[in-house]
Amino acid sequence: MTWELFAVFLGSSIRLAAPLLLAGIGEMVSERAGVLNMSIEGMMLMSAFASAVGAWATGDPLVGLLIGIVSVVPVSLLQAFLSNTLRANQIVSGIGINILVLGATTLAYREIFGARSRAEIPGLAKIKPPLLGDIPIIGPAVFEQVWLLYAGIGIIIITALVLRFTSLGLAIHAAGAEPKAVDKSGLSVTAVRYGVVVFAGFMASLAGAFLSIGDIHTFTEGMTRGAGYLAIASVIFGKWRIGGTTLACLLFGAATALQFQLPALGVNVPNALLIMLPYLLALLAVGGLVGRQMAPATLGEPYRR
Amino acid sequence: MISTSPAAGASAPLLSLSAVTKRFGSFTALSEVSLDLRPGEVHCILGENGAGKSTLCNVMFGVHKPDGGAMSYRGAAYQPSGPADALAQGIAMVHQHFSLVGDMSVVDNVLLGRGRGVLNRKECARQLAKLATDYGLPLDPNAKIDDLSVGERQRVEIVKCLIRDPQLFVLDEPTAVLLPDEIAALLQVCRRVAASGRAVVLVTHKLAEIKEVADRVTVLRGGRTVATSDAPARDIDALVRAMIHGDVAELDGTAASTLGLGKVEHVGHQPPPRGKVEALQIDGLTVKDRQGVTRLDNFTLTVDRGEIVGVAGVEGNGQSELAAVLAGMMTPTSGRYYLGEADLTGRSPKEITAAGVGIVSEDRHAVGCVLGMSLAENIYLNRLDEFTRFGFLNRTALQRDATTLMRRFDVRARGPGASFSSLSGGNQQKAVLAREITLPNLSCLVASQPTRGLDVGAVAAVYGHIREACGRGIAVLLVSSELDELLSVADRIVVLYRGRIMGTCPADPARKAEIGAMMAGQAQ
Repeated sequence: MTWELFAVFLGSSIRLAAPLLLAGIGEMVSERAGVLNMSIEGMMLMSAFASAVGAWATGDPLVGLLIGIVSVVPVSLLQAFLSNTLRANQIVSGIGINILVLGATTLAYREIFGARSRAEIPGLAKIKPPLLGDIPIIGPAVFEQVWLLYAGIGIIIITALVLRFTSLGLAIHAAGAEPKAVDKSGLSVTAVRYGVVVFAGFMASLAGAFLSIGDIHTFTEGMTRGAGYLAIASVIFGKWRIGGTTLACLLFGAATALQFQLPALGVNVPNALLIMLPYLLALLAVGGLVGRQMAPATLGEPYRR
Repeated sequence: MISTSPAAGASAPLLSLSAVTKRFGSFTALSEVSLDLRPGEVHCILGENGAGKSTLCNVMFGVHKPDGGAMSYRGAAYQPSGPADALAQGIAMVHQHFSLVGDMSVVDNVLLGRGRGVLNRKECARQLAKLATDYGLPLDPNAKIDDLSVGERQRVEIVKCLIRDPQLFVLDEPTAVLLPDEIAALLQVCRRVAASGRAVVLVTHKLAEIKEVADRVTVLRGGRTVATSDAPARDIDALVRAMIHGDVAELDGTAASTLGLGKVEHVGHQPPPRGKVEALQIDGLTVKDRQGVTRLDNFTLTVDRGEIVGVAGVEGNGQSELAAVLAGMMTPTSGRYYLGEADLTGRSPKEITAAGVGIVSEDRHAVGCVLGMSLAENIYLNRLDEFTRFGFLNRTALQRDATTLMRRFDVRARGPGASFSSLSGGNQQKAVLAREITLPNLSCLVASQPTRGLDVGAVAAVYGHIREACGRGIAVLLVSSELDELLSVADRIVVLYRGRIMGTCPADPARKAEIGAMMAGQAQ
């Protein structure tokens, strides 16, 4: 493989990993506090649709992004209400939300765009960071990315610091590991868990917007194609740690990028197999490589005093 | 003197409860309980399991809202909206069950819920060091909770409360899981906290502790205040009478030792019908968990027919793993065990039951019974096929036989069809015991913590049945964290510490200190 091709592969791995990473870190925080959000997929799709419509209607991708973020708030509040207040089964309620969002966005897409499905949607700008971006060959191919990715990396670093060094971080960790301790210390388990679901929704909305107005500047029906589930798998594969989750997302991103790279190299592998690759990896990761004992102790269990 | 109404306060009470009532559905947990707590005193709440002690604490701490009555704190009406409110007003509580985050450090557990924003771990560690010297509570601030002993964990719970500088300090059965030495240290802490002008509430059902530390005592029975005393050491006999509604002299020796009456005596049992015959033979059982940590280390023991061998130790030192392996619920990493000639290692629970091993499991709700099924179904759970014809269950026969067993084992319930979850803990345990002891070819009984959560009467009944089975030549392995009970009922005691046998000695109450030291890991 030549350096140019490798740089392109690296760049597209990062680009394809970006939505997984954004959604995955949000989901990791939520799971650390004990709430499993299967609805990440639906939240991403919601935002992908709403930000595309917003950007198309206003002509400003930034406004589109904001609309995408806001559109997910009701979805995440619904998920938080179902899993904390009503103590519904988190897997079933999450999948229910995913199906609801898929139906709603498909319907709305056909109503709004109809035949004009080739509509021009303005997208978020790419930036080339100084120094890194100036490295020959690698610079433009790897580091010239949509600014939302860099903003997301900033948010992830802040998240890591909050988890490690603040009382909020302690509360999130304890809410998943031993919610009784949180309750008895005078904090509200419910408040913490609502908070993390809304945060997961926020991160999923960035991921969704990245898919539609960041990456390809268009919306297609059901365009998340399981990216939300991959994000959940990356949390498990990453053993509920920020570093591990990030590496898992990059791995899944790279596996997806192979779809485009291998044919370019003239390697003859059926495309359908390559499309399956990241999902196969995810299955292996979730099924075999990781012991369940790494999971937060009360993951998926609603808290009852 | 002992009176049935709270004594008039000498100093102004810090917290006073008047006629507090708490109901859960149709069950009245507290009925018009009145109580004054004064600064500088250790006030013990005495009562059997189910007397309402924990409910009372939870009402003070704002976990439960009372359905009737009033509380006043520092002279003003007190209606806490929740634990946070109680904490803010200076009331702190150490709960019966620990609530610590296992994979966080001591400092982080203490910091949880205190303050906002960026953590100041250094400052907190400094405060911990000060508390350690003030009250005698040494702790490594950076140690992970998972690596601490039970006694150390309890210190963390206490420090979590004291660092908030509470005026009222409530401890709900804090000594249940501690070693004898640790209990003494904890009672010292209580005294020191009271001496600093705070009020301490200590919930217990052990009279030895009351004698040592209490300034005043309130006795609860069935959710009511049945006695109070300003001179507990003098009134101790009257307090016991009030608590168990009977006479101390009538108490069976084992049951009396449950209360920590101080005079543990060995209650023997019938010698086995024939001479010494090995029944249960355990040879080098070793269990490693998934992380590779050794939970049970080369456990070797022989139990003869008609012998009761007690396994002592602080909980979490390998007892659960030992019991699980013997019950066929866990496969040992190495080692074997035999019943007579038969190798039972790695057999299924069904095969083990068929071989004649009765199992009373440590967690009766999770493993020992099915709460949603009826008493009759539970009491014959392992033999339901005997009542089955052509795939159908003969309920008439089942209920008839269950009624016989209920009578023999004094299981009190509405009837054999009563839902198992409607039974009290003592009656549930008696039913489980009835099922295991009446196995047709029983030759060995493995009982783990069979008296946990039971009141004195039920404890006496459980040990009565175990002794009776032993008299028939059954080998009994009795795992318990209640050392006094083991001393009273067993023939021999082996002590487990970190999965290893620290030592074996005859169950002689005079050697309690020696056994206590072994439980703490000191080889003799």
